Amino acid sequence: MIFLQVTLGGLLLGALYALFSSGLTLIWGMMNFINFAHGEFVMLGMYVALIVVVQVGGGPAVFGLAAAVALFLLGVLIYFSLIKQVMRGPMLAQILSTFGLALLLRYAAFWIFSPNFVTLPPTALAGTVNLGGILLSVSQLVAGIVAGALTLGMHLLLTRTAVGSQLLAVAEDRNAAMLMGIRPDRMQALAWGLSAASAGIAGALMAISFPFSPAVGETFALTAFVVVTLGGFGSVPGALLAGLMVGLIQALSAYYLGPIYKDIIVYGLFVALLWLRPQGLLGTV
Amino acid sequence: MRWGWLALAAALLLYPWLVAGTGSAAFLQDMGALALLAAIGASAWNILGGFAGQISVGHAMFFGAGAYLPLLLYQQWHLPPLLGVPLGVGVSLLLALVVGLPTFRLQGHYFSMATIAVAELIRIVVSNWDLLGAAIGLQGPAMSPHWWDLTFRSAVPYYYIFLGVLTVLLVVTWHMQRSRLGYYLRAVRAGERAARSLGVPVRRYKLYALMLSATFTSLAGSLYALKTGFIDPDSGLGILVSVQLIITAALGGAGTLLGPLLGAAILIPLQTATNTWFGGSGSGLTYIIYGAIIVLIARFEPGGLLELWRHRVAPRLGKRREGSHAA
Amino acid sequence: MLLSAEKVAKAFGSFKAVAGADLHVEVGEIVGLIGPNGAGKSTFFNCIAGDLRPSEGRVVFDGVDVTNAPAETHARLGIGRTFQVPATFEDMTILENVMVGAFLRHPQRGAARARALKIIEMTGLGAQAEQRARNLGTPGRKRLEIARVLATEPRLMLLDEALAGLTPVEIQRAMELVREIHRLGITIVIVEHVMEVILTLARRVLVFNQGHIIASGTPQDIVNDPKVIEAYLGRGHGRQARQA
Repeated sequence: MIFLQVTLGGLLLGALYALFSSGLTLIWGMMNFINFAHGEFVMLGMYVALIVVVQVGGGPAVFGLAAAVALFLLGVLIYFSLIKQVMRGPMLAQILSTFGLALLLRYAAFWIFSPNFVTLPPTALAGTVNLGGILLSVSQLVAGIVAGALTLGMHLLLTRTAVGSQLLAVAEDRNAAMLMGIRPDRMQALAWGLSAASAGIAGALMAISFPFSPAVGETFALTAFVVVTLGGFGSVPGALLAGLMVGLIQALSAYYLGPIYKDIIVYGLFVALLWLRPQGLLGTV
Repeated sequence: MRWGWLALAAALLLYPWLVAGTGSAAFLQDMGALALLAAIGASAWNILGGFAGQISVGHAMFFGAGAYLPLLLYQQWHLPPLLGVPLGVGVSLLLALVVGLPTFRLQGHYFSMATIAVAELIRIVVSNWDLLGAAIGLQGPAMSPHWWDLTFRSAVPYYYIFLGVLTVLLVVTWHMQRSRLGYYLRAVRAGERAARSLGVPVRRYKLYALMLSATFTSLAGSLYALKTGFIDPDSGLGILVSVQLIITAALGGAGTLLGPLLGAAILIPLQTATNTWFGGSGSGLTYIIYGAIIVLIARFEPGGLLELWRHRVAPRLGKRREGSHAA
Repeated sequence: MLLSAEKVAKAFGSFKAVAGADLHVEVGEIVGLIGPNGAGKSTFFNCIAGDLRPSEGRVVFDGVDVTNAPAETHARLGIGRTFQVPATFEDMTILENVMVGAFLRHPQRGAARARALKIIEMTGLGAQAEQRARNLGTPGRKRLEIARVLATEPRLMLLDEALAGLTPVEIQRAMELVREIHRLGITIVIVEHVMEVILTLARRVLVFNQGHIIASGTPQDIVNDPKVIEAYLGRGHGRQARQA
């Protein structure tokens, strides 16, 4: 019973990992670019939720949407002011650009919000539910399901809609896409917006259940790196699968070995992955 | 530019003496030693990040290994900390292989992601391992009568030891720049595919650069531990250590010999100033500024201040002096 | 037989870029590879050069099986190649670029530098030796690439559209350089669109179309081969003839 509870809890958190990691892998697959500030996008989503709840009130739907919109705009802004230019530059510039951005966002958040852990006030999703003997918090259940659905939604957006195929066309062959009348710039900006939004919503959803501080971005970034590597370069379905797996492994490690092991096992898994199967589950290298 | 080198050497050699007369001699001498230490670490990072173009954002793992081993030997087994220095290098080289061997055959991002993940992994392990002091950390000898414990009351002896190590590192880097290793690393940075087509064993040379870089970063860590007599997971293995190494090299000019020195000369006084003026909260502000500086460098001048000088400032100065001749 | 590529095929997912091609090159030959865009020439080239691993087939160079060997092994054994889009080291000087090549056979800086300077003179880049590669125009970059590869002392040189985008005068100079390289005893395989180049330089020509070699022979044979004319050459050759 406990085993099932731990497992389910891990999968639900894993769905959240999948959601924000799908944004990271979208950018990676499309622009061959790893956003080192992605964890901070998640963190900012959490704080947007906090601000909205405190200033305006409203439930998860409201602050979830707010986080999505705010981070979408931030993503687009960052693309046009920074990313677009460093893409043409050396690797040093590309990696340092988002690495520096992460630092800037994290410490600005420390400065503005204080380093203390905070929680959202209780929402409509408070309380626990009993599923045949397994106790789960409502917020975790809802957040996990929503996150899973959104990740699937991202995948469907990319593969079943016109916009999605335009995004994929730019990822595949920029020049050919231009010849077809697609504006790569716009598509890439859109991708950044979607990527940041996915991180923002995931953050807002996690904020319902977990305390947070500006420091959490660093851990989310690393989790995202593991998930996208395990899932495979550029693969959103891969990110979904890998996110669930990482959530599960974390939960089981924490329960059976101890809380400090949850990160150790996952990062260790990452190293093993690099040695044995860098293309991950669904990618090619 | 012979006189330039001589002037620099003289300034570095005489600095402790030059500030001895001022009111805050001890403070300035200490700052000088820290600046040299920062220059060593940054120069070490520069070999891999600047010359070879492989961006490590987890170099703290090497610094930390170099810092922890000496103090570990001392605190747990009462051995002279100096014995831990080569051990630190050994551990660092091992870590370098663990990270570099699998990732150098893949695209660049894997390496960068791996460095940050492994550094964090080690930090968490050390934070929870009592033998290594867990969250509290390890301490070195207080004042000791033995010379090999390297406990000095004044910062001046440390200053000269650091200057010696920095000189060795700069000479090694200078030779490397002019040798096949240097040319091959720059080729790898400039275009891996083309480099391969010319016979450059890309993966192997990246590993050489990584191992050289890890060795000297480890030494920097050891020197830090020997001077401060204390290390803990944050000061030795935290991400801010990696940030310090990167920004010091990148601000001055990644890929140049003296860039890291310039970076250290600017950043250490700056950091000390913000810490003094803003107190505890100063460090938060420092890292906001650091983040902004790194973004600006990446966005506008990846070659750092030296490149900025060479391309934007110097030609204009040249034009003014020589009339219409292009620089 | 210096180079022997047999039944080389390369697929990207389900797309077969090269569907089985043979190439045999004797020492001292100049062999041309032509074909329309997307015919598979460059992919085939990259398989021979070690840039790509063939999905099928074998590549043997001077008795050594290099099918799965990385590009750096190819270079060390004596295969040199230039790139369709010049891949010079932009921030390094011309001399430094060529020295990277020279270091392959001369590990010491002094010897590498001396060799590089000789090659630079030979290829006509002497005046610009200390300039950064990024300051060169396309013809300069192509010339630099050739110089850089020459410094590795190859026995076989694979030239990937080394003359594309050059003016007629520059083409003449480049062709003279290729002839000079040949005189040094280097075997050459050249992928080209500029028909005049292929027809005057190459003793033997292979024609690619849709991943296959559809014809091979002397330039004269190729010009008259109806398959080739049909596939591509006819219109192109007519246009070239009017321009020449």
